[in-house]
Amino acid sequence: MGDFLKRLFEGAGGDQQASANDVPKDPFSTNLDDNGKRLEELFLFPLNDALKFRELTTQSGQRVKVLFVTGAADTDKISDYVIKPLLNSETEGKQGLTDEIMNHVLTISGTEKISDFQAAVLKLINGNTVILIDGEKEGIAVETAGFESRQVAEPTREIVIKGPKNAFVESNDINHSLIRRQVKDHRLVSETAMVGVESPQKISILYLDHIVDRELVKKVKDEIDQIDKAAILTLSELEELLEERPYSLIPSTLSTERPDRAASFLNEGHVVLLMDNSPDALIAPVTFWALFHTAEDQFLRWAYGNFARIIRTIALFLALLMPAIYVAVVTFHPELIPTDLLLAIAASRERVPFPTLLELLLMEITFEILREAGIRVPAPLGSTIGIVGALILGQAAVQANLVSPLLVVVIAITGLASFAIPDIGLSVMTRIIRFIFIAAAFFMGFVGIALAATAMLAYAASLKSFGVPFFAPLSPHMPSSRDLFLRPILKKQWLRPLSMRPRDAIRAKPKGRSGS
Amino acid sequence: MKRGLWAIGVLLFVLFLSGCGARSELEKQAFVVTIGLDKGEEEHQIEVTFQVANPQVNTTQGAEAQNEKPSDTFTITADDLLSAKELAQSSLSREMTFSHLQTIIVGEDLAQDNLFHRIISSAMIDPEMRREAIMMVSKEPAQEFINANRPTMETRPHKYYEFMEDSWRETGYVPISNLNIFFQRTDGELFLAAYATAQRDPKHGVDEDAFLAGEVPQKGGDPVQIIGSAVMHSGKMVGKLNGEETRIAQLLRYHNLIKTMTASFPDPNNEEYRITVIMNQKSHTRIKVNTDQSPLKIEVEVPVRVQINSNLSLVDYTTSKKKRDHLKKSIEKDMEKASDSLIDKLQEEFVGEPFVWYAHARKDFWTAKDYVDYNWGQKFKDAQVDISYDVTIINYGEQLRPPTLEKLDKED
Repeated sequence: MGDFLKRLFEGAGGDQQASANDVPKDPFSTNLDDNGKRLEELFLFPLNDALKFRELTTQSGQRVKVLFVTGAADTDKISDYVIKPLLNSETEGKQGLTDEIMNHVLTISGTEKISDFQAAVLKLINGNTVILIDGEKEGIAVETAGFESRQVAEPTREIVIKGPKNAFVESNDINHSLIRRQVKDHRLVSETAMVGVESPQKISILYLDHIVDRELVKKVKDEIDQIDKAAILTLSELEELLEERPYSLIPSTLSTERPDRAASFLNEGHVVLLMDNSPDALIAPVTFWALFHTAEDQFLRWAYGNFARIIRTIALFLALLMPAIYVAVVTFHPELIPTDLLLAIAASRERVPFPTLLELLLMEITFEILREAGIRVPAPLGSTIGIVGALILGQAAVQANLVSPLLVVVIAITGLASFAIPDIGLSVMTRIIRFIFIAAAFFMGFVGIALAATAMLAYAASLKSFGVPFFAPLSPHMPSSRDLFLRPILKKQWLRPLSMRPRDAIRAKPKGRSGS
Repeated sequence: MKRGLWAIGVLLFVLFLSGCGARSELEKQAFVVTIGLDKGEEEHQIEVTFQVANPQVNTTQGAEAQNEKPSDTFTITADDLLSAKELAQSSLSREMTFSHLQTIIVGEDLAQDNLFHRIISSAMIDPEMRREAIMMVSKEPAQEFINANRPTMETRPHKYYEFMEDSWRETGYVPISNLNIFFQRTDGELFLAAYATAQRDPKHGVDEDAFLAGEVPQKGGDPVQIIGSAVMHSGKMVGKLNGEETRIAQLLRYHNLIKTMTASFPDPNNEEYRITVIMNQKSHTRIKVNTDQSPLKIEVEVPVRVQINSNLSLVDYTTSKKKRDHLKKSIEKDMEKASDSLIDKLQEEFVGEPFVWYAHARKDFWTAKDYVDYNWGQKFKDAQVDISYDVTIINYGEQLRPPTLEKLDKED
């Protein structure tokens, strides 16, 4: 059976061409035509018209071949900085022709010597131009990458009123530059790792060398090394592969599209991962506080920022518990609410045919559908969703005696509260856990809610993301600047959270009066 | 994995077993808001009147039911409250619950009977009973009282009693009396319960607030009057206090539950008229109990702040310190006199006091037994009680001085 499967899969893969990493490391031959032919074969020419080449002769009669991949390389750059200087060059009879061309002819910044086919293929698919010279055993790779990229735009998920308004784009280089612009520190290290067996992609691992815990960097790099997958297209995919518990509701990494946020995480000793094609940065490790905070909390003045945090805390609890509390009160503990409200609920439920739980689930699921539909709906139809949603949820359901009006209020408040949660991970988690709480409340009322809350809190507190406990530095308690539910003024935020095991814990020596 | 599933399965099973019993939908329950307790015709039987709120009247527009009454009232005769509740189910379609029971009205006949204490104590076993429910004693049988009480403003019965209780805190004519306090004071201390009636028997020529329920001269409006208190000793009604006496009883407590009260006194500077003041207390009443002495000696000093509200005699108190002092002295004297007569009444008629003074005496004893042996009620009967008032006049109303009528007379 095993053999059969093996054969089956081998058979299926029999026709496949060797992937980039599997290209033999054969050295170039001295014959220009042989080398050209070999590369053509590797790129499946003429079936595949991606590989372009231009053969030219220098002033002194030397034959040179310029190869590049369309779409990956910038043709203007090639003609201006590679072909033009080559055509005008005089290289006759000089020793070390490759070095001569590299050092005296090409007017482009990034050049590198290559000597085998594997390197040539890797360079070509990354947008470089390969120059092969007749009679030489080495070629030159020139950096002419010209992938299309959109302009740096405003963030769409993490919107702030006050603060920087640029977001990461799909280009790794631009993202690097956005971070470098924030962190002007020569100790900002950018390491490169490759993932993907079939189509290798570069991943940049950024950290501040004087702050970050070396163990953490090693752990992240090990995790990346262990990834064994044919192709990883975006950072979101990598996110799941890096996670210790992919089934858990609680995320262990955070993706942000704001360079300023990434920079502030770097400053606290986190590791930031960047990848081409991904308009966001992956932050590891992550704690509850990272998910709960927004960039704006620090940009706004102390009181305003903390006010926003208090509101968000309330919203978090409402989004988690409101429907569960409604179920518990209405079905188990009617003595808890004022008599007027009780009679009003009882009256409005008088003609509703379903039990409270069913009524609630009906509305909850309708709301979740509305939410999902709202994201997928094409923009021109967006307003329709609003009208249909408002009609279904607000008016029609009540008039048709499907649900009681008070329940609509409960669902509306819950929905609104869940929109106030900043991180999508946290927000979706809240929405799912809400159903667990509803079930707990349905079985045992407030006792059930208390039990579920205890169990969940215990689980969350036991979690670790890359070795850092989820609620650190609150629990387990460790020295920090106490930037937790509320934040202190900036002057008092001089200590980096020790839960991150920073090599340099002190941000800036507190001056004499800051202790006041 | 299998083991985990087993654990979850067992847990769910346990949850199913333990939780679902108590669950019930709101619309399937009938919420009793008032209970009336009366003596039954047979010995050891009681008549229980239930007033059940109708959620479909005056709650939400959508569910409004025309032509339905805001509450359903019926009386069941049974051996005790809980069996009456069970029996009521024979005619009531919905499951009756006491979780929003706010008022318990006891007919005077039953309150004076030894049976009452047993009935109410055994009813407390029901976890649904709320200890913060108001306890009132009605002059007539409770069922008559409940049926006669049809306030125009509050069509929903629970609202009526809720608002009434709030207004008691403002006037002091009625003690704050709920089941919780009742159960605290069943061992020889006196408990004051609100006294109410729907029968009018107006009394005229009484000094301002010395009324009992039913005696207030009133025409029109709701027939119900709640003023004064029923005095209960060991869970049995032994007498009544009128509105004025009830007020003083509130003032003599260490912790006064009444926020403000309006009272009138004869104007010392012009005996023809009375002067009306608003009283409140800023600090607690000072109580000194000396259990070492025989007879027992109790010193009470009541600090009272007074605000002149209506000054019929138009005496100008603002400019004359002499008149002010005179007024202050006169109010103090008046109140001391009233307090002394209340103490005399308590010592003559009842065994015990309703002022929670026992709490001050109890701390002089090492053990509970010592205190019980001391027999506080009897000792209080012979106690020497000194009550003094300390009146501070804080202002003289909105106007600086009263209008001078003589001037107006001249203009006419």
